[in-house]
Amino acid sequence: MSDQLFVVDVDKCTGCGLCIVACKDEHVDSEYMPWTKPQPEAGHFWMNVKPLERGSAPRLRMSFLPVMCQHCEEAPCISACSEGAIKTREDGLVWIDGGLCTGCGDCQEACPYDVIYKNEDLNIAQKCTGCAHRVDEDQQPRCSEMCPHDAIIYTGKDEKSDSNAYDGVLEVFHPEFEAAPRLLWKGLPKPWIAGTVTTASGDEVIPDADIVVTPSDADSINVQSDAFGDFWVYGLREGDTCQVDVTKEGYKPYHGNVTTDNDQDLGTIRLSEL
Amino acid sequence: MTSNNSTPKNASDKKHRVVYVSHPGSGLARSNFPLECHVEGDQIVRSLPFFIPDDVRLYEIKTTDRGTYTRPRKEVQMPLALAAKQRIHTDTRVKYPLLRDGWDPDKPNGAGRGTDSFSRISWDRALDIIVAQIERIRDKYGSMEPILVQADGHGQSGYLQSLHFWGHYLFDMIREHKKWGWWTQQVRNPDSWEGYYWGAKHVWGFDETLGEPYQDAVWDDVLENAEMVIFSGNDPEATGFGMSGSIALQMPKWLKEAGIKIIAISPDLNHACAVHADKWIPIKPNSDAALYLAIAHVWIAEGIYDKSYVETHTVGFDALKSHVLGEDDGIEKTPAWAEPITGVPVSTIKALAREWAGKKTTLSVYFGGPKIRGTFSHLMARLEAYVLAMQGFGKPGRQFLRTGAPSFYKKSLAQVPRYPDVDFKGLAFSPMIEYAIGHGPKSPVFVPRTLAAEAIQQKIVRWKSTTAALAKTEDQFRSYQYPPSEDHPGIRMVWNENGSQPGSWGHGWNWLEALRSEQLDFVVGIHPWLENDLLYSDLILPAQTNYEHDDLVVVQRSDVLGLFYQEAAIPPVGDSKSDYEIHRMIGLRLGLDEVFPHSSDWLKASYEETLAATKHNVSWEDFKERKYFIYDSPTWDEWVKIKKEHGYGEHDGGLHWFAEKGEGLQTLSGKIEFVSERIKNLDPDNPERPPLAKWITHSELADSPKAESYPLSVMSNHPKYRFHVQGDDIEWIRELGKVRGVDGYPYEPCWIHPEDAAQRGISNRDIIMVHNDRGAILFGAVVTERIIKGAVSIDHGAKIDVAMLDNQKVDRGGCINLIAPTVQEKYPEGAEITVPEMNISGFLVEAEKIDPSRIKAANNISFGAPVAGENR
Repeated sequence: MSDQLFVVDVDKCTGCGLCIVACKDEHVDSEYMPWTKPQPEAGHFWMNVKPLERGSAPRLRMSFLPVMCQHCEEAPCISACSEGAIKTREDGLVWIDGGLCTGCGDCQEACPYDVIYKNEDLNIAQKCTGCAHRVDEDQQPRCSEMCPHDAIIYTGKDEKSDSNAYDGVLEVFHPEFEAAPRLLWKGLPKPWIAGTVTTASGDEVIPDADIVVTPSDADSINVQSDAFGDFWVYGLREGDTCQVDVTKEGYKPYHGNVTTDNDQDLGTIRLSEL
Repeated sequence: MTSNNSTPKNASDKKHRVVYVSHPGSGLARSNFPLECHVEGDQIVRSLPFFIPDDVRLYEIKTTDRGTYTRPRKEVQMPLALAAKQRIHTDTRVKYPLLRDGWDPDKPNGAGRGTDSFSRISWDRALDIIVAQIERIRDKYGSMEPILVQADGHGQSGYLQSLHFWGHYLFDMIREHKKWGWWTQQVRNPDSWEGYYWGAKHVWGFDETLGEPYQDAVWDDVLENAEMVIFSGNDPEATGFGMSGSIALQMPKWLKEAGIKIIAISPDLNHACAVHADKWIPIKPNSDAALYLAIAHVWIAEGIYDKSYVETHTVGFDALKSHVLGEDDGIEKTPAWAEPITGVPVSTIKALAREWAGKKTTLSVYFGGPKIRGTFSHLMARLEAYVLAMQGFGKPGRQFLRTGAPSFYKKSLAQVPRYPDVDFKGLAFSPMIEYAIGHGPKSPVFVPRTLAAEAIQQKIVRWKSTTAALAKTEDQFRSYQYPPSEDHPGIRMVWNENGSQPGSWGHGWNWLEALRSEQLDFVVGIHPWLENDLLYSDLILPAQTNYEHDDLVVVQRSDVLGLFYQEAAIPPVGDSKSDYEIHRMIGLRLGLDEVFPHSSDWLKASYEETLAATKHNVSWEDFKERKYFIYDSPTWDEWVKIKKEHGYGEHDGGLHWFAEKGEGLQTLSGKIEFVSERIKNLDPDNPERPPLAKWITHSELADSPKAESYPLSVMSNHPKYRFHVQGDDIEWIRELGKVRGVDGYPYEPCWIHPEDAAQRGISNRDIIMVHNDRGAILFGAVVTERIIKGAVSIDHGAKIDVAMLDNQKVDRGGCINLIAPTVQEKYPEGAEITVPEMNISGFLVEAEKIDPSRIKAANNISFGAPVAGENR
């Protein structure tokens, strides 16, 4: 894994949007040379928060992905730039030299995370600098300083050892891009299987039913339905076919197969009495 | 106490001037923590969170086996506050006094209001006109009674300079010192806590806390004991965050950390519940009363309620029991009865009822959510109190919990550990609060805010109650009318200081129509922006934003209290003056120098009465230099001692005292009243508000004949990105909160269920018209399962932008309040309104997709209103 500069904790993000406004507050009408010229008033989201509506009502929840430049070690934007305008600082922050950029748009095309924006007025590409100007003054990047939930944490290169605090749970967002980001994630959404267990008539929920989910190539996961008959099985692998068994003493069991293309909601599972 | 308040984290920035600016959503002279702005010349470079310095001691809430809880030192505000600097120079900013071109003192031409253009005039001429108009009214009618003076905390507001009660004060001072007679006071109705005020007070009292139970040390009890907390329409990420800042975001996290389950009951999966709730129970808008009856049915049928508590702590339970079992009306209020009304499945109602009975369950709101602001919400609020009573309300873990509470929500102690003297004397007090959250109107000539339009339009309006926030419950049974006598001239002049009426109350179209009445000779608007009903003024006076003047910031709506000195961040824009200064200039013209001191004298005097000065000996000059004083919180041991002095054990809180004593409430019996003794004595035969609360259907529900034409129910909550009507003119806020239509216009979002959308051929981001008999509003569709089928979710208060759809007037801005019901429409004209509640959530509409090519500008005034002369 590459040098870590940021950690984004998806489980903590509530989608409040403050990081977006903080980024605009810092960069619109203000330039921090050499790292960046001013951001336009609207249309740029160097820091963005992508909402994910997950599951199906009433077993519905939101996850939010705060997405910014991943400050990659193998940054596709750097190799795509024919002017050599995209550079990496010693601390690992990746920045676009506005003096060299010709606004050709190749880096925008190349970035798999879709975090580079075109400034039409200045005819340059722009993106998150990691608030390089603030980091140099021992201040926090605005997004992490503002976040009320500590969902965005600037760890800085020197504090790499701190990643031990995350106990090996950090992941790369889209490892298939092979860009070696310096921004690592915790709690990236994994598919769940959810449902509600009721009697055949549907008039009573069934708490404490045993739900066993067996992925194709991993150990079974056992949970029990709660007081509302609801169950959630978390952390499954994308695109796996899982066997689902729902059993409760005195009732005919339910067996099914589910492919975790996404979060899967089994709806109301009605068990007939034996 | 420690020597507190060293330099905070960010203030070490040496390159810029650091100023603390009040949150734009402050109201009633009280605020939460300010923004920390860095200023270079006339430019606000950045707005940062405030970090409470390390030498200010924060509280800790200690539990026996669930750990210790505190709050973060980082204090952030809602996105609108961070982006508020963009409002300083919007296209709609009023820079100079503006006079409507069509207005003439002898021929006001009221019909031109809302469409006429304006021209710049001098302050001198503006003051001449105002004084002449007040004198004309007084000469012609013998008093100032024909002047309707509005006032309110829903617009941009601060402690002194941008406070919105100076109109009341000005006219009161003219009356007192010049003897020009009374003026008509518009009384703020109990807006955000409607149902508790009109209803729950009759069950459990709490006159001083707006009908909601005291919050004394309630977190100590909840974190120690509660096993489940029901968020009844509560959205700490929207309403709570906007008003109380970071602490509102922290409190749900405390619950999670303590292992307490969060159950959300609301038509929408709101912003906080979408990430924090363990279970969402979608419910049809304004049907909570039926759910509560069905829960009571399960408890009675299965014998799982607190029978001994009901025996000793309540009166009238037999009547409820009889009603629930259908002995009085032949209808048993079973879960199967409630399912079609509420949309909640029988199995879920039973599971919820059993879980509520089996686990120590607390009910949580901020003000009450959308359910508390709809037709007959007083019945819903009473039934909520009933079910709490059936499970031993006040016993450990069984409380009424606000996720954040201003400092007055108590019997004697704060919600979290705080020194009582800080609560009582720590903060600067504004006497203007009595006009806003008062025990009754100051002027004997008054009209409730919910009836302001009708008071202009109709010969006579009759109602019960002053509607004043802290009025005694008995006041709800007193009759009033406007005008006070038959030969009275009625309202001839309007004094509008905030621009929030059409976007925060019901049937805003009607308010705008009332302002165009030829009955009105003169309409004064005082505001920083030309927006909403300000466009319907004859004379507009340019008020300032909070960035443009010195003031105090009184941190009262947070858990940690303090005072800040707000230094002007930038010079005033144009010829703008602060709201105080504007009223002072008029006062000086009228010779009222004595009661309008210089603002700095007023601020100094206010500060010098606080503990910061009197106990901690920080002089006014020192305070201005250091810019803030934040009070330490007590240590846990100190807090336990304070609690003991007030009769609470270490982990006791909330209504513990009532659970112990079984008496002492402000009901006639002192107990919880299922059958209200007061209603029985004073208004026993009122079918709308009977002595025992019941499920009563009405014209805005799905079983009404109106539902054939208008089958969808609007659920309307406080917005996440606006603060009431504020914020839509900020580009960054529009980028976050609006739906960009195919025509490029930023439409207000309307959440609609996928099945309802499919039936109407509506797709995500389509432009849709939401309409009923009161009018039509345009929105951008958000197709989502986050709203229950049969309802649409639209936040209140979007900025109004009148347009034409074919030949029909519509609002393209998305202000849903324009077509919400009026309080009066349930009653025949002239009949007495017995419960003048506002109804802005849970009303019927239909939605249809429209082609944007049909939309045309209605007039020359739109999002960026053009003004003649040199305003721009």
